[in-house]
Amino acid sequence: MKRNRPSVLCLALALCLLCACAPGPASPPRRSVALIVKSTDSEFFLSVFAGARAAAVEYNLDLTISGPETEEDYEAQNRMIAQAVEGGAEAIVFSAIDYEHNAPAIDAAAQRGVRIVSIDSGVGSAHVSSYIGTDNYAAGRMAAQAALEGVEGALHVGIVTYNEGTANGQERVRGAQDALAESGRAQIAGVATTLVDAERAQIDAAGLLRAHPEINVLLALNEPTSVGAARAVHQLGRRDDLFFVGFDSNVVTIDGLQHGCVDALIVQNPYAMGYLGVRSAYRLLAQQGGLEAVVDTSTQIVDRDGLFTMDGQKALFAFDRYQD
Amino acid sequence: MSRPASQSGPRTSTILVAMVAVLASIILCCCIVLFLERYRSAMIQNARTGSAQAVSQVSTTVGGYLRDMEQAMELVERSMWSGPDSRDELLSTFLEFRPDVVAVTSYSAAGELLDCWSLGRAPKRDILRNLSFDLERARSSSGPYMTSPHVVTIFESWYPWVVTMTEPLPEQGGGAAWVSLDLSFSGISGYINNVSIGQRGYCFLMDRAGNIVYHPQQQLLYAGLKSEDTAALAALADGSYADDTVIYSLTSVAGSDWRVVGVSYVDELVDRSVREMIRLSLWLAALVLAAALLTSFLLSQQLSRPLRGLASAMETFESDADHFAYRPVGGAREVRELSASFGHMVVRIQQLMSTVRQEEIDLRKTELKALQAQIDPHFLYNTLDSIAWMCEQGRTADAVKMIHALARLFRISISRGHELIPIAREIEHAQNYLEIQKYRYKNQFTYSFDVDPECLDYYCNKITLQPIIENAILHGLDLLVEEGRIDVRVCREGEDILFCVQDNGVGMGPEQVRSILEEDGQDRAGIGIKNVNDRLQIYFGRQYGLRIVSEPDAGTRVEIRMPKVREEGEHETK
Repeated sequence: MKRNRPSVLCLALALCLLCACAPGPASPPRRSVALIVKSTDSEFFLSVFAGARAAAVEYNLDLTISGPETEEDYEAQNRMIAQAVEGGAEAIVFSAIDYEHNAPAIDAAAQRGVRIVSIDSGVGSAHVSSYIGTDNYAAGRMAAQAALEGVEGALHVGIVTYNEGTANGQERVRGAQDALAESGRAQIAGVATTLVDAERAQIDAAGLLRAHPEINVLLALNEPTSVGAARAVHQLGRRDDLFFVGFDSNVVTIDGLQHGCVDALIVQNPYAMGYLGVRSAYRLLAQQGGLEAVVDTSTQIVDRDGLFTMDGQKALFAFDRYQD
Repeated sequence: MSRPASQSGPRTSTILVAMVAVLASIILCCCIVLFLERYRSAMIQNARTGSAQAVSQVSTTVGGYLRDMEQAMELVERSMWSGPDSRDELLSTFLEFRPDVVAVTSYSAAGELLDCWSLGRAPKRDILRNLSFDLERARSSSGPYMTSPHVVTIFESWYPWVVTMTEPLPEQGGGAAWVSLDLSFSGISGYINNVSIGQRGYCFLMDRAGNIVYHPQQQLLYAGLKSEDTAALAALADGSYADDTVIYSLTSVAGSDWRVVGVSYVDELVDRSVREMIRLSLWLAALVLAAALLTSFLLSQQLSRPLRGLASAMETFESDADHFAYRPVGGAREVRELSASFGHMVVRIQQLMSTVRQEEIDLRKTELKALQAQIDPHFLYNTLDSIAWMCEQGRTADAVKMIHALARLFRISISRGHELIPIAREIEHAQNYLEIQKYRYKNQFTYSFDVDPECLDYYCNKITLQPIIENAILHGLDLLVEEGRIDVRVCREGEDILFCVQDNGVGMGPEQVRSILEEDGQDRAGIGIKNVNDRLQIYFGRQYGLRIVSEPDAGTRVEIRMPKVREEGEHETK
């Protein structure tokens, strides 16, 4: 028996070596992340998708992208959340249409163990691990500030806003109102709440301008409403005597900026929202930690002078858009 | 026997195994460290070479692309001298074949946009600012030049990113002083996006000033999510630079002010394989160490096990040399030699021991003979004295009887040199002796024999009883006034035979008894008794011999104990 000990030792060693030579654990399966946004056709969200896809490629994620037909249909979003959970998504990157009405669906998803990252527009759920997007209150202030700098004397401000349930729009309105009120020379002549749709926005903005001809400053607080409002300004021939501040980059508003229909654009960084949103989802799933609760993506004002500066170009024109 | 010094302290095998383990560990550690150091530097060199190669390939490709574009530019230039119709046709065909050319524009000497060719697009009427053409730069540069990336701003609702190649027209063909090509990145993105150096490495294009021309993640750069330290890179000459985490390779593109920058990561190219190598070498080291330990263990077993066997054999030999049987111990040659030597030694020592024992026995026999020689003259002298006395008195018949008894006595005494004689003969001897003495002492005493017939065939030392009886007569009865009496009894007691001589003489004190047995007294009777005791003890051992019980004025009793001996020679080798 004592004689056997060395041979047993030998055998154990050989086995250990065999184990060491065996291939290591297989690479983990691709994690599945769902990106659910408010719309799939605005340039803003196309940039979000581009950023999200770039991150998905970089972190080897299975990314599915979905969004409702209209930016009011929070129920469709809730269905998409449920579908994503059924479809095995481990994390949802979410831009909420409705701060309150999307919350139960998000809570339900979180109950099933899905990690939630909120981008662009927040949702009233305690399960959101991180919010990535614009500081919308500050962006609203920025829009008002642009108008205050661009217009001398009294400001009669018309605001084109959208869906009252959507968090980012409401914060922007609040920011704009606060900044205007603080200036002491501005008063809000009228607020038009419209649908997030360029055509409806154009109709409603035109209506607002007709109802309040004294309006010399118009603020539109997201991309489709800005497109509609820009068209309304053009339609009504108000490009010279009206200072219009829009949101985000769209060829229509950029053309308008060159024509004079648009005087300034508050440009968010949708690519960063998409990219950072998906990256945060990856970090949550990979349990890397170090996630900030709120990430403020940059926002900048682009006016006619700044349009073709390098920074303006970088902010306004997506590099990937016309490639290939 | 306790041997603390030799039993404590580590064994040879332990020392050997520990030494091998320590040595092997040190050597392995040194080897691994040296090897890994060399391996890492080789890997870094490798990674730098790989990166430089990839970058140089990209540079060649981009150079080729640029030459292509220069040729295209020549074509465009030539078209400027053709008529407007053929020029339009030529250029639209050209644009169809070169989808990466976004627009061809021509400019007057004053920098005004003269003409624009682009597939399916016309420039808008009031252009706010044309980023594709910069009059100052065009005037300041003598030859063709390339802009940094910018957006095409001459079209309505279409803003692709391009670089613009502008070339002055030597003789203003068609009125144009400059012609520009807006080149989208689709022509070069394919090359650059597909370059991979390691898993995460990539390369990008920048100009000499450090402006990024094309980057696979350009939008990440534009969105502010990523940055390249192009200012520092622009200061570097072509070549490969490795720091702790990143390897940069720079190559200029021939015939342009563009440079290709390759970025690769040390951790994935080097660290990973170094880690893999560390893992592998650690396993290898463990294996080698284990093998070394096993070998040394087995080796020491080969050496120390037989040594231990030899040691225990020596211990056995030490405790019982007589019955030790030597068995050869196997193992290493040295051990076998040692074992053989020990074998020889054992045989030699056993021989010596038996020689010594034989010599001792011989010596005792000699002593015995000498003792016997001491006895005989005393008695002969005494007896002859008696016979002489009888003859003087004229007691012829008694003297004859006496002489007969004496003759028998001597016959038995001599016994052909045998030391042990049957007890019957010894009894006869004692009877003869008593008969002689009875004559000598004129029947002053009587005697009786009580002998167990079973005892008669056993053997005893000759002349054992006679000295005792002599002592009883001389010291016990001679001084007695009334008639003395001597009883001799022989009986068995267990495995022993007991001779008992009882007299009713004056007896002795304890001091006298001890002196008789112990002291080498000068009077002849003392010598006699001590001789008997010595002989018995030499012959049979300490437990045998004489025991004297004596009481003054009551008598003396001497017991002689000896083992049952069947025949002569049974005890001689003991």
